[in-house]
Amino acid sequence: MSLSALLNEYGGMYLRALLNTWRLTAICFTGAFIIGVLVTVLRVCPVKPLRAFGVFYVQVFRNIPGAAMLIILVYALPRLRILLSFEMCVIVASVLIPSAFCSEHLMSGMNTINPGQIEAARALGLTFTQMITRIVIPQALRSTVLPMTSLCVSTMLTTALGSQVSLRPHQLELTGVVNYINSRAVGGIMAFAISAALYVMTALLIGWVGARIDRKVRILR
Amino acid sequence: MSIQTASDVPMIELKNVNKHFGSLHVLKDISLSVKKGEVVVIIGPSGSGKSTLCRTINRLETIDSGEIWFDGAKLPEEGRELANLRSQIGMVFQSFNLFAHMSVLDNMTLAPTSVRRVPKAEARAEAMRLLERVGVGDQAHKVPAELSGGQQQRAAIARALAMHPKAMLFDEPTSALDPEMIGEVLNVMTELAREGMTMVIVTHEMNFARRVSDRVIFMDGGSIVEENTPEAFFSHPRTRRAADFLQSIQK
Repeated sequence: MSLSALLNEYGGMYLRALLNTWRLTAICFTGAFIIGVLVTVLRVCPVKPLRAFGVFYVQVFRNIPGAAMLIILVYALPRLRILLSFEMCVIVASVLIPSAFCSEHLMSGMNTINPGQIEAARALGLTFTQMITRIVIPQALRSTVLPMTSLCVSTMLTTALGSQVSLRPHQLELTGVVNYINSRAVGGIMAFAISAALYVMTALLIGWVGARIDRKVRILR
Repeated sequence: MSIQTASDVPMIELKNVNKHFGSLHVLKDISLSVKKGEVVVIIGPSGSGKSTLCRTINRLETIDSGEIWFDGAKLPEEGRELANLRSQIGMVFQSFNLFAHMSVLDNMTLAPTSVRRVPKAEARAEAMRLLERVGVGDQAHKVPAELSGGQQQRAAIARALAMHPKAMLFDEPTSALDPEMIGEVLNVMTELAREGMTMVIVTHEMNFARRVSDRVIFMDGGSIVEENTPEAFFSHPRTRRAADFLQSIQK
């Protein structure tokens, strides 16, 4: 099919798929970000078992391929009597895996903080929680905007897992919509190219926003 | 049986303090008492343990044996009580250690508002007063990296003062400064000493030590080798090691 024929017939679906990809990316990146911050706090807290749990969490989810994660969620969880919708399976997989990478980025961000500032915080009488929330996490976040931008893009790409489960037509995301079209018509390479262009456009947008945020919050040293 | 009145209780007291870094015995049976309002200067060659000693007083360094008392209370091991006690001891570091992501003003108000629960407006007003007093009031809205070293260190002193500490520890406060900025920091410290602040100062500034301190502690190899009045110490030290040290730095 030609580009114009595809857009004529499926333009609305592509648009909906783009919005779905954006929605999934926003939900998953937010979730990954929150969990990533919490896991990172565990990894530096004074309680040893919690630290060990944080490290274990990251090792597990950093090393599971997205597809394998999805299979576990779709086929194994029901045996534990946990039944998630297909879309929820995609979301959970696209939260857990990026959350491990988020924590890794934050750990490297923490390493940029001069230990003297931690000592100063302790000397002023700040508790561990105050030190983490007011000094450590804010600085780690500010120095990791660019890697977090990449993480946001790779989270978007992870949501393509949605193409591997049977979502309803209105739930399809950018990769799934190509499968849908190609199973009904001969969309060929052009059907992929449209989705690819929309992915690239989104990635450029994310990169542009990330660079702006980075310039704004970067710490002068 | 004698009853100690509040003024007899030393502000800082170390009893037989020992500390090791691995096999290195960095503090050897240190006992030291600092009265309220007293200014004690610790000097000695590098590696003598003077910075470590200073840092044990608010437990930035733990100790292996002995006791440390602050204003009549034994130093808590950890947790909230330790944080609370630390908030009563001001500390000034060699490398300033202002929080890099905050304005100077926010550096000043963070601890008063979050540790002491001082209302924000009140903390800001007090912070501005203190910044004016140390001469960096016009820098309040900049981030630390935009200030000179001397300005950063004066702001760091003001940040410690914002907690109304009962005593101040200075760990080589001028060692990271360019020579032309040392004076401005020492002036602030001199003024503090005149106002009666209890101070423990690790420094290499001998003229300052002589002029401002009430007592000089000379450390070498992890021990207190000599304790003397500044006048006596600098003109005729009692120990050979102190005399050698003074001679070596006068070259």
